[in-house]
Amino acid sequence: MLAESGFSLWKVAAWVSTEGSFLQARRSPRQSAPSGSLPARGNHRRARGPLSASAGGATTSGTRETDQAIKAYTKANPKVTVKPQPGEWDSYWDKLSTEVAGKNAPDVIQMDMAYISQYAKNGTLLDLSQYGVDTSKFASGTVDAGKIDGKLVGVNAGINSLTMMADPELFEKAGVDLPDDTKWTWDDYLNISVELQAKGPAGTTGTQCAFPTDNLLQIWLRQNGKDLYTADGLAFDAEDLTTYLNMMVEFMNAGAMPTASAINEEVGKSMDQSAFGMGKQGFALYWSNQLAAINEASGKTMTMLRPPTVAGDSTQRNAWYKASMLWSGYAGTKNPEAVGKLINWWVNNPACANICLDERGVPANTEMVKAIEPKLTDAGKATVKYLDDIKPELGKTPPAPPPGSSEIGDIMQRHTNDILFGKDKPETAAPKIISELQAAIKNAQ
Amino acid sequence: MSAISELTSLRRTRAKTADERRQQRKENGRDNKAGYLFLLPWLIGLVVITIGPMCASLYLSFTDYNLLQPPKWAGLANFQQMLHDERLHQSLKVTFIYVFVGVPLQLALALAIAILLDKGMKGLSFYRSIFYLPSMLGGSVAIAVLWRQIFGTDGLVNQVLRLIGIDSHTGWVSDPRYALGTIIILHIWTFGSPMVIFLAGLRQIPVMYYEAAAVDGASRWSRFSKITMPLLSPIVFFNLVLQIIGAFQSFTQAFVVSGGSGGPSDSTLFYTLYLYNRGFANLQMGYASAMAWLLLVIIGGFTAINFFVSKYWVFYDD
Repeated sequence: MLAESGFSLWKVAAWVSTEGSFLQARRSPRQSAPSGSLPARGNHRRARGPLSASAGGATTSGTRETDQAIKAYTKANPKVTVKPQPGEWDSYWDKLSTEVAGKNAPDVIQMDMAYISQYAKNGTLLDLSQYGVDTSKFASGTVDAGKIDGKLVGVNAGINSLTMMADPELFEKAGVDLPDDTKWTWDDYLNISVELQAKGPAGTTGTQCAFPTDNLLQIWLRQNGKDLYTADGLAFDAEDLTTYLNMMVEFMNAGAMPTASAINEEVGKSMDQSAFGMGKQGFALYWSNQLAAINEASGKTMTMLRPPTVAGDSTQRNAWYKASMLWSGYAGTKNPEAVGKLINWWVNNPACANICLDERGVPANTEMVKAIEPKLTDAGKATVKYLDDIKPELGKTPPAPPPGSSEIGDIMQRHTNDILFGKDKPETAAPKIISELQAAIKNAQ
Repeated sequence: MSAISELTSLRRTRAKTADERRQQRKENGRDNKAGYLFLLPWLIGLVVITIGPMCASLYLSFTDYNLLQPPKWAGLANFQQMLHDERLHQSLKVTFIYVFVGVPLQLALALAIAILLDKGMKGLSFYRSIFYLPSMLGGSVAIAVLWRQIFGTDGLVNQVLRLIGIDSHTGWVSDPRYALGTIIILHIWTFGSPMVIFLAGLRQIPVMYYEAAAVDGASRWSRFSKITMPLLSPIVFFNLVLQIIGAFQSFTQAFVVSGGSGGPSDSTLFYTLYLYNRGFANLQMGYASAMAWLLLVIIGGFTAINFFVSKYWVFYDD
């Protein structure tokens, strides 16, 4: 009698996003790309299309694989109908919040770390551990991220880590050596970028300006023994932020980055249109599972480097795995058992893993990784290897960002712009960022 | 009294039998029913998608509502917060600049082109369509994307500037000094719809006025200022009111050009864009509702002022 009977309409909100540009994350938070966006095949804009194959005509591999997985599941469970809900990433959070307000949210929801605590604390998400979702085979540190107040409200759909991508062809053209990524420091990062920008072909810029993103900030903070957030507030202060932002100014003044207006123009560009994707930039920060997409967009084989460290020793960088995306269940669903069953199948069943492969990041379930590894592309294998290589460098898993903190992208972008355009200084901008962020977190309580 | 109306009144006053009166009532009822039936789609639309949401938003403007939880009554807190919200003030500033610079320039251009086209050239309908085209496209996402390209670092504008010897590397849409300006230019470019209305108005002015003026030896300028402008003033007024209301509500261009953020550095933070971000990105629907009502008051105020001032310059020829 369980969930399946009398169960006709099922909605899965999931987005096949190949949002390429890492800088995308600097747009207002609701537009920030999911860190676990899927590898693009061909045109990036089209690839962002809806999940349902019938809508929009998007025929990307991501869509196909999700569709195939759903088909496989409904074949094995004929009484269940799964209705994928098409959508665009740009308007995803607007749509989801409206649906929750209207009490007609999808039964299965694609969640992101930036929003999970907000939704969980408002009682919108199911405790999946009660509905048979098994996380016992997951790699260490990949389960806790989805736990809020002791409840499993999100299940890791794939793991990710940040990587500094480098364009080896451009380095060769400029006659500059790639750094040793286990030893390089932020100063090395600066110097190499400056050298590259000076020696490279006309129009070359050393590095993408990733400073306005919370990702680079978090990398830097964790090397300094801090972090972005505690479970309910900020884990850094204005002084930390000032030092960090001064580094950005140093990069700009030294000629390691594009001009302020060019940096701004990169915002919202697709991967193949970005300076890095067009082969005109040395470094750019991306999530590990974006390697295939950036290779595709640029037509090159990019090199994944560990981000630079303060200590010049990568083992002390306090790296972390992030959920590329999470599966959550809607608390208002009529069939929580069916929701749990589908999610469990999605993360723990070899049949599903063999269809989806690493589309949503490397699976968190270590057995699934072993099962799919031989089938992966070169980029996929490189990603698995990178994630494996950095294991000794992992620190504590960061807690889920508190509600309201998803505004950080917007706030950082605004104030770093003021600095880049010479309208403000790090010393005065940092306290403003902190107080705006605190207000946003307080507002969301 | 004419024969026909006499007949009608005779009929009406003629004593009716009970049967006839019932018949009459039935017919009237059927007419009314048909009327209401035809009105129904609009009526449903009005209640369900206009009046209902307006009432809801008025209520929500006094609450703290994050979409995920039921609204909590907050009294005037949202309105008090608006007083100290610097970004709100910035968004008002941006919107006012847009309205006060964009609308007059757009109308002036529309009028100038309409007067040119009114000269009765060959292929008028072709030119009219060509000039009208931007109006149809101007509010669209595609054009805003195109605008981003044209005014980009390597865009058409900079290429043309380089051709004439100005070495420009500014991204016009990504530099806070120029970003709003480029959106205003986009607005001015969509002068087509007021132009078509002006053109219709110009066609209404009787030619004999100009002929009489020509006989009296009036100069071209005095013909324009003494005949064209006064007779066209109701049309100018109409366009002004409509365009001001429309400009206050501008959203799409800024949303696309700035990637939804109102950036760089809040230089294109239009009021409606900020409202949208507050409501959906920051999940502060109560505050966004309060902002919406402030916008209503502002637009209402400007329209009222317009109507008041119109008494002094709009000339109705009747």
